[in-house]
Amino acid sequence: MLAKINSYALYGLDGYGVTVEVDIHAGLPSIDVVGLPDAAIKEARERVRSAVKNSGYDFSPRKITVNLAPAHTKKEGSLFDLAIALGILCATEQAGVDENKKPLPSVGDYVFLGELSLSGGVCKVNGVMPILIAARERGCKKIVIPSANINEAKYIRGIDVYAVSTLKEAVELMNGADVPPIEKSDVVISSGRQCSEDLKFVKGQYSAKRALEIAAAGGHNIIMIGPPGGGKTMLAKCLSGILPDMTELEALETTKIHSVAGILDETVGIVTERPFRSPHHTASKIALTGGGSAARPGEISYAHNGVLFLDELPEYPRNVLEILRQPLEDGVITVSRVSRSVEYPADLMLVASMNPCPCGYSGSAAHDCSCTPSQIQKYMSRISGPLLDRIDLHVEVDEVRYDELSSDVYAESSAAVKERVNAARALQTARYKGTGVHSNAGMTSVMIKRYCKLDAAGERILSSAFDKLGLSARAYTRILKVARTIADLDGAADISSKHVAEAVMYRSLDKAVK
Amino acid sequence: MLLSDVYLWLSQSRIATSKLNRILDKIPATRLWDQFDAEGKYLLDDKTFSALKRTRSTDFIERAKQYLKLNNIEYVTRADPVFPTALAQSEVNPPVVLYYKGDLGILREPCIAVVGTRRASQYGKYVTEKIVSELAEKFTIVSGLATGIDGFAHAAALNAGGKTAAVLGSGLFNVTPVSNLKLFDEICSKGIVMSEYPPDTHASEYTFPQRNRIISGLCRGVLVVEAANKSGSLITADCALEQGRDVFAVPGDIDKPRSFGTNKLIVQGATAVTCAQDIFDHYDISRVKRKSRSRTDELDLVERRILDILNDGEKSFDALAETSGLSVSELNTALSTLMIFGLIRERSKNIYCATQE
Repeated sequence: MLAKINSYALYGLDGYGVTVEVDIHAGLPSIDVVGLPDAAIKEARERVRSAVKNSGYDFSPRKITVNLAPAHTKKEGSLFDLAIALGILCATEQAGVDENKKPLPSVGDYVFLGELSLSGGVCKVNGVMPILIAARERGCKKIVIPSANINEAKYIRGIDVYAVSTLKEAVELMNGADVPPIEKSDVVISSGRQCSEDLKFVKGQYSAKRALEIAAAGGHNIIMIGPPGGGKTMLAKCLSGILPDMTELEALETTKIHSVAGILDETVGIVTERPFRSPHHTASKIALTGGGSAARPGEISYAHNGVLFLDELPEYPRNVLEILRQPLEDGVITVSRVSRSVEYPADLMLVASMNPCPCGYSGSAAHDCSCTPSQIQKYMSRISGPLLDRIDLHVEVDEVRYDELSSDVYAESSAAVKERVNAARALQTARYKGTGVHSNAGMTSVMIKRYCKLDAAGERILSSAFDKLGLSARAYTRILKVARTIADLDGAADISSKHVAEAVMYRSLDKAVK
Repeated sequence: MLLSDVYLWLSQSRIATSKLNRILDKIPATRLWDQFDAEGKYLLDDKTFSALKRTRSTDFIERAKQYLKLNNIEYVTRADPVFPTALAQSEVNPPVVLYYKGDLGILREPCIAVVGTRRASQYGKYVTEKIVSELAEKFTIVSGLATGIDGFAHAAALNAGGKTAAVLGSGLFNVTPVSNLKLFDEICSKGIVMSEYPPDTHASEYTFPQRNRIISGLCRGVLVVEAANKSGSLITADCALEQGRDVFAVPGDIDKPRSFGTNKLIVQGATAVTCAQDIFDHYDISRVKRKSRSRTDELDLVERRILDILNDGEKSFDALAETSGLSVSELNTALSTLMIFGLIRERSKNIYCATQE
């Protein structure tokens, strides 16, 4: 007899329907899975066999053929286990039939997702949230998921979600048992983030802290340059405590990616805090951009709507850094492979840190630098101009003096800074409503013309800054964007000369290149 | 045979200038050409003899001239009246031929050499730019187109609209370091770049010390800005003394390796220099002092307060934030405005000080 069970597969961040067809016919006992399965699906045979047997159902030797339709797309992962098992049970008339062994029409209403354990339990799978969204868009009404995935499913309205923890429960549900769907809840953006580092413990470094505030408020890319031991890494870690709260839309976007990648915290089920990703400098290109034969997302997509922190930037291989250029500009990365091409969002804030030279002390007041000019040049040239072009704020982080370290005076806390950041970001959200731009950093050239008008005094300051400080032309729009954010932090509608003057302070690399 | 052609022959034979000068002490150049086979045999060692013999033809000289012309390189020999007089008069091993690109005329103005370490500090860079921008009003700035102080000196002279001359330790085709090629082009069009070596000569560890005598020979004095104990700039200073030129040095911290050389020069009797005026005074050159446009009256209260604090001595950003009691954004704005006005500068990273005018 033939049975059909609905399931879903992932394609990038999108899902598509897969029909699991199970047929039982005469022949030598075996289970064959066709429809381009990967190794994990082929292994499903063993899991299904044990799960069915250990759930108290009959699994007599038969020739079973399982087809995953459409058969021309590659399928992967363990999420078809449940559907295959149910298909076998239907085909052997142990489930999904009424008293007269007539197939129940309700079977086709459900979509089943889940991995099986040998004992018959249903385990967590990756990518539930994007599948739910895709299924809802395609008009699916009922979906069955592992109960371990409940938390990420409860935020998707407009589709009935049923959670099962064993194969038996799934069979009962299919047979028409009266089980209520899970309750939905609203996305609650938590504001009181628990951050291991707080700005109030950072002694001195006023200039750098201000730069972080501006960067967080406007979503600007920032690079911190300074000698070892200056506290660059600590400052970067503080950043996650002052980032503006996520909007609901941003939270769902980021959760989708984390769900697909399987890095979602299942106890929470949704990402409500901006991600802070810090891949080590041994990370490969693919690890950063995403890829592989299945075109999976990478670190830059994990950091979507959050921060990608690259500590010791020049230590990253140059080819790894260069691939950041296009995503930094467009906010998306297209991962293309022969078999598929997938677009992942990567709208992130790049935070980088580096030493000014190989020994770390170039330009330092306290230490003498022991590097030759060609060494410094070589070191700096590991970061290309086009990449630096995309970084709005350059900040010098100098060594901390002993009296600062030993003082008991606490600086402003992260919470206080965050309030200002939130207020500034709210202004931007209102300004860019409906344009797809979230923050000042994402302004297009048309928007810069429109929102970054300078008065006469501001123009004068900017032109004399170019003159006196030897700024390069690439600095121009960067300064305007940063000045816009400073004005937002100030609550000012127009950019005035003082905002421009402050923005000029954070272009130290341009000055150095003079 | 023209004397200048004979000199070109000698130069193109690629025999070291010091050796050529020793030969020319014994026999006049034209006689060497005319009586080469007869006299050369006695005077020259075998290697030199065969090198000169190989190239001794009017055909060879014509081809050399055409080659230079084709590559837009001019040359001047000791026989020419336009040969820099200061160099011709210097007793120490004067070059036979100078290959150059640019304007030879600027060497007739008073020249001063500004040299120093390749590994310049922020301080060295600042001092060079400050002193050279004023010196360039009256002097042609001569240096060696190396990285560090040399490069800063050329760039500062060009920025100030002054004249500058670069003397290379290689042929004009092989500019070292390559990173200074842009500067090379700029000096070619606005000043002069020269070398005593035929254009395709590569630099070697011997050529650089050799060209230092040309730098000092061209000038009335040599200013050493920053030099370590074994710096090449000290060779230039030695050449200057041998040629009877003045040596100036900018003093530095006595515990900084980059100042050991300059401080030692001062101990040995070089004139200590802290500003361009010291050099102008030394040569009794009067100049119209640039009117220092005081922009202090354009400042607001906050900026004036910061300026007052910095007038008492340099301060780090953090220290400024604490003593002034200003918010960081106010301080940023004030510092930025003051820097744009040129009233303060960032001495080293995050350390600010008032500029002395």
